[in-house]
Amino acid sequence: MTDPTAGVQVAETTEGRQHFSDEPTGRRDKAIEGRSPLQIALSRLVKDKLAMVCAAVVLFFILVALFAPMITSALGVSTDVVRSCDVLECNAANPGVGYPKTGPPFYGFDAEHPLGLAPRTGADNLAHWVEGCRTSLLIAGSATLIASLVGIVLGLTAGFAGGVVDKIISFVTDFFLTIPFLLAALTIAPIVIERYSTGDSYATAQKVSLIGVLALFGWMGVARLIRGEVLSLREREFILAARVVGMPIHRIMLRELLPNLTAPIVISVSLMLPAFVAAEAGLAFLGIGVTGSPSWGQTISKAVPYWSNYSLYLIEPMLGVVLLVLSLNLLGDAIRDALDPKTRR
Amino acid sequence: MRRTKALAAAATGAALLTVAACGGSDGPGEGGDGGEFEEAGETIDKDPDRQGPAPDIEGAQEGGTITVYLPDDPGPEDLDPTNGWSVTGNSIQQALTHRSLTQYARDPESGEMILVPDLAEDLGQANDDFTEWTFTIREDATWETGDPITAEEVAWGIERSFDSDTFPSGPGTEYTEHFFEGAEEYDGPYSDPKAAESFDGVTFDNDARTVTIKMSTTFPDMDYWGAFMAMGPAPLGKESDPPAYGAMPLSNGPYKVESFRPSEELVLVRNDEWIPESDPARHQYADKWVFNFAADPTQTDELMLSGNTESQTSMSASITSENYQNFRDTLGDRLVQQSAQCTSFLSPDYTKIKEIEVRKAIAYAYDYESIWNASGEVPGVTRVPANSIMPPGMSGKSDYQVDGEQITFDPEKAKELLAEAGYEDGYDIHMAYATGSPTTEAAQEQLKRGFEEAGFNVTEYPVPIETSLYTIWTDPDNKINKKLNLRGVNWCSDWPSGLTMLPSLLRTGATYNTAFFSEEEIDAEFEEIPTLPVEDQPAAWGELDQRIAEEYYPIIPTAFRNDLFAFGEKIGNPTGDGALGAPNYKDLYVAP
Repeated sequence: MTDPTAGVQVAETTEGRQHFSDEPTGRRDKAIEGRSPLQIALSRLVKDKLAMVCAAVVLFFILVALFAPMITSALGVSTDVVRSCDVLECNAANPGVGYPKTGPPFYGFDAEHPLGLAPRTGADNLAHWVEGCRTSLLIAGSATLIASLVGIVLGLTAGFAGGVVDKIISFVTDFFLTIPFLLAALTIAPIVIERYSTGDSYATAQKVSLIGVLALFGWMGVARLIRGEVLSLREREFILAARVVGMPIHRIMLRELLPNLTAPIVISVSLMLPAFVAAEAGLAFLGIGVTGSPSWGQTISKAVPYWSNYSLYLIEPMLGVVLLVLSLNLLGDAIRDALDPKTRR
Repeated sequence: MRRTKALAAAATGAALLTVAACGGSDGPGEGGDGGEFEEAGETIDKDPDRQGPAPDIEGAQEGGTITVYLPDDPGPEDLDPTNGWSVTGNSIQQALTHRSLTQYARDPESGEMILVPDLAEDLGQANDDFTEWTFTIREDATWETGDPITAEEVAWGIERSFDSDTFPSGPGTEYTEHFFEGAEEYDGPYSDPKAAESFDGVTFDNDARTVTIKMSTTFPDMDYWGAFMAMGPAPLGKESDPPAYGAMPLSNGPYKVESFRPSEELVLVRNDEWIPESDPARHQYADKWVFNFAADPTQTDELMLSGNTESQTSMSASITSENYQNFRDTLGDRLVQQSAQCTSFLSPDYTKIKEIEVRKAIAYAYDYESIWNASGEVPGVTRVPANSIMPPGMSGKSDYQVDGEQITFDPEKAKELLAEAGYEDGYDIHMAYATGSPTTEAAQEQLKRGFEEAGFNVTEYPVPIETSLYTIWTDPDNKINKKLNLRGVNWCSDWPSGLTMLPSLLRTGATYNTAFFSEEEIDAEFEEIPTLPVEDQPAAWGELDQRIAEEYYPIIPTAFRNDLFAFGEKIGNPTGDGALGAPNYKDLYVAP
């Protein structure tokens, strides 16, 4: 079977050979041996320092998200509701009414609450930050998974089948692209509340609906991209050859086409993830995100009025969102560069 | 009276949750830099003999422009006096542009609001059983055109209030409809023009300058109702046709409308035709007023705190709790706390929660201070503990304590009460709350925590913040409402009589009786008290308030509401209006 990136592979090995030319023969032979395009890309990625730093940051957030309950209990903080007047100043005659009795902004560092307490609720900021990270990644990760799966399946089908099927799928894709995402999200949120508010599964329903909304309006880009790629691959000799020898269609799609689409898929996924993290925070800020569990967007929307008096409260979740989105974006860029050397700067 | 603040609209539903009482904390540093406010004017007297001009305010000067910011408050939709029932619109128009039969004046020494005549020469003459009121219109009052205001124009203005379909948000829908004769058959001059010719519930005599109103029932509070601008004149004929008249009404107060953009800006300028001698309570000090509706709360706070030239002649009708401390430090006396004559309640369903012990347990389980704090109020300042149904400032308000002392958050006591009623294993509470706003969610979180500590099991039903909780609470067929056994209500008085509080909340079948309280003997009292001699009524309402609480405790008063107004350095006489719960626009001036 031929491979569109085969040429690149050859060029790369040639380059490798030159590079290793003054090294012992054994190593050189090893280098010449089969390295898949992905392996080559990975080796390029590893050499990219910025990408590695970003990967470390992303890994950090993923670990925090995975082990959130353990981290909070190890640090001795929790997201349990506390009586707000136990930890906040509720006496209007005292200075700092409405603000924490210990820690920032008016008192020194408090080891029990390293990132301070939230005004109004008295919630621990660190615990909420850690749990917020979990919510953010859970929602963005699931939405990315669903959106890319849907996008890949539809894109593959449309591109390969062509004809009426392609027309219908393309129409649906275009149709979804015309729906304003925010408007749809604002419309769906109250419907979900209406439907599930009397049941026990409200918190879950809210999360699922949010993932659904994000995925529903996130798959079109992938679908279009994949369809375009498939259209150009469909007429290539290796696909024709596979058809001629009578390979079943699903096998052609999975074994012949899909491996050649790894690059665009990895790229779109790595760029979709940060977009969803930001979108989730944005929706929470607008009051239509999750409410049952802590999230960065929620904290940001609560903290905005406190900017001048208690800036730390706003900076913490902002830092989380900014760092995660920035690292994911830069990492996505780096992956794209590694996979597609033609765009390399 | 309604509050139309966007936040309050959200909070009205939430307000019940939002609101609760704080038990005056006495933590360290008591009396540090004085969070104590002087109680602004509370009780309301009457002075039927007061005549214009209004006594000068000490040190007052003429000239200057006063800019008023109304954070998060869209203000009135139109300026038609007949349609004005919001605190914001009424307080501005009644003080500055539109006169009515009677009005309130602030006593500069005591801070009390006094009911004084306005367009009428006195506070009206009633027959023996208060079923017919006659007002004599003063001769020297004029429109902004310079034309005198006639009795016919006053009668016409009052007749307009019969038209509930044309003015659906006006106060006439409540008081004209319930108390004026003929309101049942007559739909008003615009909806029912044929009947208008033969309508004789409101009559006038232009020569004797009298307006006579017939009541369908005993109505001793007509003089208070006369202080609404809906009980004022309107130009005859086409000139006052709605909705055009609402966009640019003809003024008759010390100021006239220069421009009005709903939800944005209202500019008022001096009305040179206004005769000070004709008006017992209004002043004309500033040259110009600019009202900025729906201002951004955080930006307004920043401006008021900055102390720059612009802020010196500005004022704000509310501040945010996160800046309360800064305001107190920076503004001192120029931060005015004003009682809003409102009480917030929890309403346990009288048909489902039958034991008084359980209702009292709810009162002890409500974590007043924490819930206020979570909902962005300043405990003890913008929300204070409530003991009775009637808020401070109402005549006859009783200082009784249903359990001997102020009920505060006390989970142990709540548990004991539950055990007494036979619910050692907990009691299920079903309640709705507004979701989609951090404020209401945080308040609900605190409420739930307190309830659970006190031995209740709380099932919550989230409602999108865009839907007022009242639409659920007042709809008997709503599927969520059917499940609830704890609701709430937030009620403000329209004038300082128990008549505007108790029956509206506790009469069998009343719309805002969200507790579904129903006791025949109490309903009978509601009918009887208005027939008592006028001077005995306030005490009777106060006693009834206490009796209801002690015998039934059907609704749990959680808080009395206060507002905070911030005044710029050069605004003279920074005070509040205790009758409306608004800044005292009548007496403000710009100091040099």
